[in-house]
Amino acid sequence: MFKSQKFFRFKKKSTRVINIMKKDYKAYLGGSIIMLILISAIFAPLIAPADPYKTNVIKRLEGPSLENLLGTDSLGRDILSRLIYAARPAVLVSFGGIIISVIIGIILGLLAAYVGGIMESIILFIFDVVRAFPPIILILVLLSIIGPSLLSVIVILGVTIMPRYGRVVRAETLSEKEEDFVEAARSLGADNSRIIFKHILPNIFASVLVLSGMDMASMIMWEAGLSFLGLGLQPPLSSWGVMLQESYQYIQTAPLMILWPALAIMLTMLGFSTFAESLRVALNPKLNQEV
Amino acid sequence: MFIYITKRLLWVIPTILTVLLVLFSLSYLLPGDPADIILGPRATPEMAAELESRLGLDKPWYQSYLIYLQNIIKGDLGSSIFKDRSVLKVILNVLPYTVILTLAGMGLAVFNGISIGLLAANYNNSYFEKFLTMISFITASTPTYIAGVLLIVIFSVNFNLLPSIGIGDGGLLETIHHLIGPALALSVGWTGYIARLTRSSMLETLDQEFIQTEKSFGIPRYYILYKYALKKAIKPIITVIGLGIGRLLGGAVFVEVIFNRPGLGRLIVDSVNERDLPMVRGGVLVAALLFIIANLIADISYAYFDPRIRQK
Repeated sequence: MFKSQKFFRFKKKSTRVINIMKKDYKAYLGGSIIMLILISAIFAPLIAPADPYKTNVIKRLEGPSLENLLGTDSLGRDILSRLIYAARPAVLVSFGGIIISVIIGIILGLLAAYVGGIMESIILFIFDVVRAFPPIILILVLLSIIGPSLLSVIVILGVTIMPRYGRVVRAETLSEKEEDFVEAARSLGADNSRIIFKHILPNIFASVLVLSGMDMASMIMWEAGLSFLGLGLQPPLSSWGVMLQESYQYIQTAPLMILWPALAIMLTMLGFSTFAESLRVALNPKLNQEV
Repeated sequence: MFIYITKRLLWVIPTILTVLLVLFSLSYLLPGDPADIILGPRATPEMAAELESRLGLDKPWYQSYLIYLQNIIKGDLGSSIFKDRSVLKVILNVLPYTVILTLAGMGLAVFNGISIGLLAANYNNSYFEKFLTMISFITASTPTYIAGVLLIVIFSVNFNLLPSIGIGDGGLLETIHHLIGPALALSVGWTGYIARLTRSSMLETLDQEFIQTEKSFGIPRYYILYKYALKKAIKPIITVIGLGIGRLLGGAVFVEVIFNRPGLGRLIVDSVNERDLPMVRGGVLVAALLFIIANLIADISYAYFDPRIRQK
């Protein structure tokens, strides 16, 4: 009985959020871009018209044609197919990185807010040290230590962004802890883990969700940037950054080629940031009139 | 206010010490034996030993850390492994280019961002406003390196208007000509962000009672917009400038590589690739110091405009 009541309460809140987002053109734009990327990542072999790794030296650097809709690259590979396949590392990096930073951030943030004292100081200090480096430079140095690979890019991006979540979770936990409903739950005999999972985490969920939407965009941006510098994912793997780097060498002779990966990255970032923005407005009732 | 600033400054000292410790530990963390990388396979054990003592690798780590700290305080960042030049000198040589680039980028972002934001606030709820909002979203989601690449494709390759590499021969006009593309590329992301911030801050201010009062006094609309409202709405924008300068320092890495300009960012990328450890340490240290200072200014300006923060 109790459980179903709770389910309806959650459903009511999510219905409200969805209703607000239904009126916002940004939600449609962002949502459809994200869907497009997810679909290309999951069904890449079914959608892609050709094998993204099949080289054909005779047909290199060709412009768009019926056979190769977006043309071919310096090794004669089909650009459209490579673009579609490159959605896979982008999705892996953004979702993997965000999961790592959210999990570590929530654990450290809760520890800081709940244990307090020396533990809190140490955790805040760790956040400050990570935030003392410009992110891209910290990522560069860490990558040169571990060595570039898909996994190391994901882990390093996650760790670099983590302090944002740690600080938000700590600050919101500190203020939620003082709320009357937490006090009430405590006086009814609820222990810390129950309070954290039933009362505090659901309430900070909204801010973490919005923040992670924006950070997924930055992770895709950084992954592509690193690969563009030759320090992230390595060719022949198709990633938008790798494609950008490969076509950058032919920027004078075949300038059209570099537009496709550039557009793909911009579109992805646009999708994540507009969706996150629309979510932010919908989750915060005070801002609703702005839609 | 004074107490807040002192507190923030004191908090920075342990951060810097730990940053130094992290940089110091790079010599143990970077893969491969430094002596092998530098001297190559034909090095004799004596040469390796000499180099290890020069890099301070033959002593226990805490002793070498203390020596490292002492040298830093003296302003000695060591010398580059390959170029045999003082790291500090190399950094001081390229640093002005990065500073100028960053400031120019920020200046463009502030100017363009505030202009777009004001227009959007002025024509709120029109199609023109939706168009401007879309523009600010698109620029905010354009990474620096893509802006750079697109600018080169459009203005250097297609129209041949702007140079795509280098910094010119030193003349003022040449320098500015070579700065336009890079500064524009660097500014794009923050233009969108500042535009959105300006719009929402302006709308919030225009909603307040003192604006209604001024309207009822019959003060002309442009006067209210640009004199009274803008003055109040500009505060949150000033506070993000410090933050933005820190972020643009990171973006400068890409711009310097793409436009082939000398600068701190390219120096770090090159030395990471060459495994020039003292250079990496020095470059990252200077970048981190600049970043810490920019963040500090941002924090202090937040506290200046919002007294509630000071009490925390």
